[in-house]
Amino acid sequence: MGISVKNLVKSFGTHTVIHSISFDVADGEFVTLLGPSGCGKTTTLRCIAGLDTPSTGTIAINGETVSDPANNLFVPPHERDLGMVFQSYAVWPHLTVAENVAFPLTVKGDRDVAAGVAWALDIVGMSKLAQRRPSELSGGQQQRVALARAIAARPQLLLFDEPLSNLDARLRDRTRLEISRIQRELKVPALYVTHDQTEALSMSDRVIVMEAGRIVQEGDPRELYQKPVNRFVADFIGGANFLHVQRVGRQWQLENGSPLAVDPTTDRDDGRSKIALLRPEAIRLDEPSVPTPTGQNRLTGRVVGGMYLGPHVEYIVEVGADRLRAYSRSALSPGSPAILTFDACDCRLVDDTPLTEARSHHA
Amino acid sequence: MDRGEEGFRLETPAVRVRPNTIRRAAANGGVLIGLYVVVFAVVAFLALVPLAALVIGSLRDTSPGMPGQWTLANWANLVSPGVVETLLTTLAVAGLSTAFAMAIGTALALVIHRTDFRWPNAMTGMLALSFYFPSFILAMAWIVIGSPGGVINDILREFLNIESFSVDIYSVTGIIFVMVLHQVPFVYLTIRGPIMGMDPSYEEAARTAGASPWRMLRRVTLPMLAYALASSALLCLVLTLEQFGIPVLIGVPGHVTVLATQIYLLCRFPPTAYGLAAAIGLTLAAITSVAILLQRRLARGDRSVTTTGKAGKITPIPLGVWRWPVNLMCGFYIAVSLVLPGLILLYTSLIKFFTANPFDATFTFRNYLYIWNSEETQRAIINTIIVSGGGALVGVLLGVACSYYVVRLRPTGYRVLDALVMLPFGVPGIVLGLGLLWAYAYLPLPLYGTLTLIVLAYVTRFLPYAAETAGARFVQLDRSLEEAAWTAGASRLSGVWRILMPLSLPSLQSSYFLLFMAFFREISATILIFTASTSVLSVSIWSSFEQANWGFASALSILAMVLMVAMMSLLLWAMPGARRR
Ligand SMILES: Nc1ncnc2c1ncn2[C@@H]1O[C@H](COP(=O)(O)OP(=O)(O)OP(=O)(O)O)[C@@H](O)[C@H]1O
Ligand SMILES: [Mg+2]
Repeated sequence: MGISVKNLVKSFGTHTVIHSISFDVADGEFVTLLGPSGCGKTTTLRCIAGLDTPSTGTIAINGETVSDPANNLFVPPHERDLGMVFQSYAVWPHLTVAENVAFPLTVKGDRDVAAGVAWALDIVGMSKLAQRRPSELSGGQQQRVALARAIAARPQLLLFDEPLSNLDARLRDRTRLEISRIQRELKVPALYVTHDQTEALSMSDRVIVMEAGRIVQEGDPRELYQKPVNRFVADFIGGANFLHVQRVGRQWQLENGSPLAVDPTTDRDDGRSKIALLRPEAIRLDEPSVPTPTGQNRLTGRVVGGMYLGPHVEYIVEVGADRLRAYSRSALSPGSPAILTFDACDCRLVDDTPLTEARSHHA
Repeated sequence: MDRGEEGFRLETPAVRVRPNTIRRAAANGGVLIGLYVVVFAVVAFLALVPLAALVIGSLRDTSPGMPGQWTLANWANLVSPGVVETLLTTLAVAGLSTAFAMAIGTALALVIHRTDFRWPNAMTGMLALSFYFPSFILAMAWIVIGSPGGVINDILREFLNIESFSVDIYSVTGIIFVMVLHQVPFVYLTIRGPIMGMDPSYEEAARTAGASPWRMLRRVTLPMLAYALASSALLCLVLTLEQFGIPVLIGVPGHVTVLATQIYLLCRFPPTAYGLAAAIGLTLAAITSVAILLQRRLARGDRSVTTTGKAGKITPIPLGVWRWPVNLMCGFYIAVSLVLPGLILLYTSLIKFFTANPFDATFTFRNYLYIWNSEETQRAIINTIIVSGGGALVGVLLGVACSYYVVRLRPTGYRVLDALVMLPFGVPGIVLGLGLLWAYAYLPLPLYGTLTLIVLAYVTRFLPYAAETAGARFVQLDRSLEEAAWTAGASRLSGVWRILMPLSLPSLQSSYFLLFMAFFREISATILIFTASTSVLSVSIWSSFEQANWGFASALSILAMVLMVAMMSLLLWAMPGARRR
C-alpha cells in the first residue's frame, strides 16, 4: 500500500531531469523529498500527481498502477484520488473559502458536502472565515485553505510542494506542526517536497535526499544527520565541517601531518577518496591554556573570526588549510591560537563527492 | 516555471484497471481531442479559403463561377499606370492620415493624462464615444457639411455672399481630414495605457535634474514611449490602408481612388475585372501584413516603458497660459468629430429637402415613418442584431477555444493553429469579402446569400482580436489554478468550465463587447457579399446615401447610433467585466 515509484525517468525533450529513481512511501508514512533547487523534486511529485507524464518507469498508488508508459497506461490526475497543496496555494480567487474547500467534494459527488467542508475547515482552524474571498485573506490563511481543500475529500494520498515557502518564519513553524498533526490524524501516506532541511528533519518519518535527478540517500532524519553517506548529504543536512585527510599506513592524518582518530566503523578502504566530517557542535573550542581530556583528538588552530549569536559565539577556526566552524562560550580574539578537541566517533569519514552543478547553484 | 512545452498528448489516454473509469477517461480526453480537430479545421477553413480563392481568382480571366482561362494578365496589370497611381494615392492618404492622427492623438493623451487639464474624464468619455462612431457615418455627415451643395458652401454663398471661395470635401484633403477625425480616438486609446503605466520616477528624475516640463516631455516622456508610439502608428497605418467607408463615400464622387475602393469599383461597375481585383486585394493584404509583422516585432521588443505597480500620482504639468488654447482645441476636436456630425445627421433626418438654413426647412418625420413602414429596413435591423449578437458570441467562443489550445494544451500542431488564427489580421475587410465571393462561386456550400456567410466573414475578420484577448488572460492565470482542480478530482473539461472560464469572464465579456460593436459597424467585409435578404443596417445606410437619399440615410444613421448606445449600455450593464476597457 502507499506509493510505490519504480525506475522513474522523466525527460523534457532530450533533457533528462529524473534519472531512474525508485522509492516507496508506506501507508501513514510522512516522507520528504529534500534537495537543492532544480534537482527534480517538483517533477517527481508532479509525475505522482499525474500532472506530468513520466518517460519510463511505473508509479503505483495503494497497489494500483497509475502510470506505466511501457504499457501505455496513464491515469489522469482527477482519478488518482489525491490531495495536493501547491507552492503558490492555487486557491481559486473567484470562489469563497467554503466553495474552495467544497470543490473536491462536489466533483467527487460527495453526499454531505457541508459536513465535509465544516470538518476540513475546523481542522485548519478557518471555520470563522468560511464566507471570505481569498483576496481578503492573509498568505498564511490562504495556505490553510489550500490545506483544507487538499484534505476535504479525505484522499488516499497527500502531496505537498513546498507549501510553507511563502510564509514567514513564525508561521512556518506553526503550520509545520499542524501539517504533521493533520497527516497523522488522516493516517494517509504523505509526500512532502522541500529544500529546507529544518522542515525535512522536523516533520518526516523518512527523508529522501535528491541531487541532480538522483536519490543520494534515504533514511530517518537522525540517520541522515548522523550517518550521511557523502559530503553532499552531510553538507546539505545541518552545518558541516570538513577536514581534508590522507591515509598514512593504518593511520589518518591531516594535510599538515597531525594524526586524526576517526570513527572506526566508517574507516573502510573502498578505494573512494574520503574526507572527514565533523559537526560544529561536536567540537570543544578552548584557549590553549585549558588542559585537554585524554582519549580525544586534539588539534591546534587559529581563530579567524567570531559571530555573537546569543547562547554562544560561533567561531571560524583555521586548522591547516581547512576552516572549521565551532561554538564556544569563552571570548577568543581573532588571530589568537585555539585548541579543538573532539571524540573520535564524532569524526566520520565520508565519500568526498565533487560539487555537482546543481549543488553549486544552490550555494 | 513554464511547463508548456510538455504539452498534452493526443495518444489514447489509458488502459485502466477499473472498467467504469476507462470510459470516463476516454470520453474526457476524446471530447478535447475531437474539439481540437474541429477547431483546427474551422479556423483553417476560415483563414485559408478566402486567400486561396483570391490566389486562384487572380489567375483567372473571368468573373467568379464563369468559364474562363488561366492567365497572368491580372498580375501584369498591377504595374499599369492606373493601379500604380492608386497605390501611391493609397500610401499617401494612409501615411498622411496616420501622421496627423498620431500627432493629435498623442497630444490629447498627454494633455489628458500629464497636465492639469480640468476635464480628463469627460474628454476620455467623449473620445471613447467617437471611437465607436462608424467611419462611413462620419463620412456621410461630413459630406452633408462639406460637399459642393453642403452646409459650408451654402453658408458661404447664401449668408456671406462669398462666391470666390468654396469648400470641396470630395478630394484627397477631404478623405484625409475625415480619416484623421476617425483615427484620433484609436491612437488616444492605444497610447493612453503606456502613458498611464509609465513609472513616474523617470519623469521626476528629469524634473529634479532641472528640466522644464516641456523639455521633460520631449527628452524623457516621448522617447520612453517610442515603442508604444511606433506600434500604435503601424496599427493606425494598417487601419487607414484598409479603410473602406470613408474613401468610398468621399473618394468615388471626387475621383480619388485607393486600393480598397478600386477593388470595389472593379467588382461593381462594368466592365468588371474580378481577377485584377483579386490581384490588387492580395497586394493590399501583403502590405498590411508587413506592417502588422513589424508591429508585432516592436511589441515584443518593447522593454522601454517600465510599468510598475506604483504608477502613483504624477505631479501634473501646469498648462498655465496654454490652458485656454488647449481647452479650445479639445472642444474643437470633439465638436467636429462627434457633436457636429451628430447634429447635422439629426437635422438632415428631420427635413424634407436639404437646405443649410433651418428657417427655410420644412420639418418632417417622414424618414422615420418610412423606417417604420419599410419591411426591407426592418429586416436589415433584425439581421444586424442577429449578426452582431450571435456572431460576436461565435467569435468569442472560437477565440477562447483557439487560445485554450495554443496557450494551455499545446497539442501537436498548435503553432500552426496560432498562425492561422492570426492570419486574417493582415487581410482588409474588402479583400476578405472578395475572397469569399470567389470562394463561394466554386465551393459547393449553400452559403451564398445567407446570414451565415456574413457571420463567417465577420468572425474571420475579428478572430485575431477574440483569440488575443482570451489568450492574454489565460497567460495571466497560473497553471496551478487548473492543476489544483485536477488533483481535487475535476477532469480537464470540468477544470476549464469551473475554474478557467469563471476566472476569464471579465476578459471574455470585454471581448464580446468589442466584437459586438465591431460587427454592428462593419461594412467593408459585407459590401461585396450581401444580398437583398442578408442586408445589414450599415449597408442600408450606405446604399440609401449612395442613392442621394440623404434624409433617409441620416434617419437610419441616427437610429443605428441610438441602437448602438442602447446596446452598449445594455451590454455594460449585463456584463460588468466589459467596463474595464
Ligand atoms: N517543462 C519543463 N521543460 C524543461 N525542463 C523542465 C521543465 N520543468 C522542469 N524542468 C527542469 O527540470 C529540472 C527539475 O525541475 P524541478 O522543478 O523538478 O526542480 P525542483 O527540485 O522542484 O526545484 P525547486 O526547489 O527550485 O522547486 C530543472 O532543471 C528544470 O529546469
Ligand atoms: Mg519545485
